Amino acid sequence: MRIQLAQGVGLTVIPTTQFKTTRIAVHFLAPLQKADVAARTLLTSVLETASRKYPTQSELSAYLEGLFGASFGIGVGKEGRMHRVTASMNLLSDQLAQADLLAQGMAFLKQVLLHPLMVNGRFDEAIFTREQHNLKQYLESLEEDRQTQASLGLQALYFQDDPSQATPSFGTPAGLAKVTAKHLVAVYQQMLAQDRIEIVVLGNVDETAVQQLAGDFDFAPRRVDVEALDVDVPMHEVLTDQVIAPVIQAKLNLGYHVDTDYFGEKAYATIVANELFGGSALSKLFTNVREKASLAYYASSSFDQARHLVTVQTGIDAEKRDEVLQLITEQLQQIQQGDFTDAQLQTMKDGLIANRETAYDAPRFLARIGLLESLWPTQPHTLETFIQGVQAVSREQVMQAAQGFELQAIYTLENEVS
Amino acid sequence: MEKHNYPALGEALYTQTLPNGLRVLVVAKPDFHETYALFTTNYGAIDTSFVPLGETELVQQPAGIAHFLEHKMFEKADHDAFDLFGETGANANAYTSTTRTAYLFSASRAVDQNLNTLLDFVQDPYFTDKTVNKEKGIIGQEIQMYQDDPGWRLYLGLLGSLYPDHPASVDVTGTIDSIATITPEMLYQAHARFYHPSNMTLTVVGPVDPEHVIALVAANQAAKAFPAPQPIVRGVDWDLDKTSVIAHRELALPVVRPKVMVGIKGQTKIVDDEAGLKQQIATRLLLEALFGDSSPLYQKWYDAGLVDDSFDYGFEAQRTFNFATLGGDADDPTALIDALQQVIARGVDQPELTVERFERLKHAALGKYAMSLNSMSSIANGISSQSFGQVNLFDYQRLLQAVEFDDVLQAARQLFDPDAVASLVIYPSEEA
Repeated sequence: MRIQLAQGVGLTVIPTTQFKTTRIAVHFLAPLQKADVAARTLLTSVLETASRKYPTQSELSAYLEGLFGASFGIGVGKEGRMHRVTASMNLLSDQLAQADLLAQGMAFLKQVLLHPLMVNGRFDEAIFTREQHNLKQYLESLEEDRQTQASLGLQALYFQDDPSQATPSFGTPAGLAKVTAKHLVAVYQQMLAQDRIEIVVLGNVDETAVQQLAGDFDFAPRRVDVEALDVDVPMHEVLTDQVIAPVIQAKLNLGYHVDTDYFGEKAYATIVANELFGGSALSKLFTNVREKASLAYYASSSFDQARHLVTVQTGIDAEKRDEVLQLITEQLQQIQQGDFTDAQLQTMKDGLIANRETAYDAPRFLARIGLLESLWPTQPHTLETFIQGVQAVSREQVMQAAQGFELQAIYTLENEVS
Repeated sequence: MEKHNYPALGEALYTQTLPNGLRVLVVAKPDFHETYALFTTNYGAIDTSFVPLGETELVQQPAGIAHFLEHKMFEKADHDAFDLFGETGANANAYTSTTRTAYLFSASRAVDQNLNTLLDFVQDPYFTDKTVNKEKGIIGQEIQMYQDDPGWRLYLGLLGSLYPDHPASVDVTGTIDSIATITPEMLYQAHARFYHPSNMTLTVVGPVDPEHVIALVAANQAAKAFPAPQPIVRGVDWDLDKTSVIAHRELALPVVRPKVMVGIKGQTKIVDDEAGLKQQIATRLLLEALFGDSSPLYQKWYDAGLVDDSFDYGFEAQRTFNFATLGGDADDPTALIDALQQVIARGVDQPELTVERFERLKHAALGKYAMSLNSMSSIANGISSQSFGQVNLFDYQRLLQAVEFDDVLQAARQLFDPDAVASLVIYPSEEA
């Protein structure tokens, strides 16, 4: 249950004795349209590296070692139309450590987030320069992982008319190059003062005690406009992009617009339809494209609920591209026409339910559910709701959901133009 | 059934060795949904040479056969074992390493049925010319995909420099040429030898009743006939010889940034017993003290731009070989290699290695270890990976507590030999 610490600042405490750890996550959320994502990503590196109390990485790491090897990191992501910066820690539970690690962890996060290493109102010059350089190197080397390159390439193609969605959550080298030391301070202050903040704490903890500790952040109230989180871009003709790179295995990625709602019947039908299409290891893509036809080393699909998007990713021989594309289209048509058995449908549902139950064993997932409950407060996020939602899906609904898959983007990464 | 209690961790391990030699290990975790099971054979990519069951002479099989066999185990005459798991909602998978092959499932329901499926499909080989030839295409794709992964090329290239005369350096998948020669007969021969229950373990972790699991497995095994257990004669032997190390090599690949990996070949035998696990712990603490996040040396290198966040280090101890790796992306590969070699040349004389830091790193390691016991898969993989030795995952806490500063110094003495060092650089090729 969300507790409001101040206007626009929430706390969700999830007490459980299941784990040996306590997890803390502090989320900062800003509308993507206004967020300078490259600057926010650089900010995470700068904040992670040094603070007033822990001015060097080695001092900061040594402090964490003293907390029974607590892990700490700051990352970025997207929640539909929002950009998220998340500082998180995993600590040994207070009971196992026989120490107040939760309190020390919260105090540490407060130091790191609120008291960075600054000189005359600027971040340390050397740290700024080096982290900008390192992040640039990292962003440029992403294409060394060809699956990542293909998936980012498809995203850029699919959302070509919506720059905030086309850009990765961590920005681009071009965006990063524009970030100045002065600008970074402004972005930092804006994040602290204006972002919606959601704190989630999970573990063997006492809610009142956590509330007191979270209050110590003393985040000021802020006005947060509640607007739709999901992204639904208008349909367009099929876009194609063919990128040449020195690869041995070619990649073919597809993007489909799907007709869905976020938590309603359509969403559950789309979840099941995607599972049958390429979400499961028993899916049509896996069994027919990869296994039976030996046309791909991997072939799968995923459903991005908040963005009304289903993507297909495959690794193939470049000369088989058209054959694979044809076969993928046929798999989708089969689902649209109801060419699957009731037993197959139940298998997909059982798989989805088993994966969901298993996910409830992970602190990270449970803490994420805590965030989603805050962001979508009218929607129940319990395990039971999910199981009921999936079980209620009929074969007609699956067919209908699949009929709503509209191919919008075809991205190819290959050695030479075929 | 034996029960081993670990009260400081709140864990217990139940074990039982069945009459046919299969060792069963169970950890009950009633608060969780997931059950994770691993059926593992002490057979991996390095085991291409062995004496077949009932014979007396060593045979040599093609590189990549253990991995090929793993892929082919799922396919049966009229079904795919993979589907049997999937039909209950479970996830199945398998992997092959240099020294092990493991088959696994993760399930939240129908655990008994999935346990029987796991035991049955791995113990019922079915290979034909047709299915074997088809698999060559699928694995060929897998081999190609790894060729596009510069991190893997770097790692494998370094193993090639450390172990030029030992199968540790052969890619687990083999090569397109080596797998082309694989036949059903070879697969049957390898299966008969290495998939004997006495060379396998079953690990089950989750909300299960250990007594029930062991009874189920015992009944399953009692219904099958196996030849009497015989010791396995393997062609592969220890490689601890520094004279074969290739000191430096370079590759050009379509990468954006140069990549460096430096390896140190281990020259002492480390086996899965208490002394071996302690030595591994001491060696990892040594590497962390010198190269970890809190090391002043690492800080200096980071500040100077010699390394960045991609810098990493590790120590692997496997059956017949062990080695350390250090490296990452580097703007100036030569400078990083020089810096690493200087540290290695200092041997036991390391300014970063103080008693105070040792104690703090040990404290951190105890916490990280306990935190790692949060997930069914990490417990099961930890138990399984040591299931052929004398120690288990839960002994780790006691052994870690027993490691002293002198053990870390001793690890430095044993590992840091400048003559046992290999370096490999991947430079961007011109076309990238």
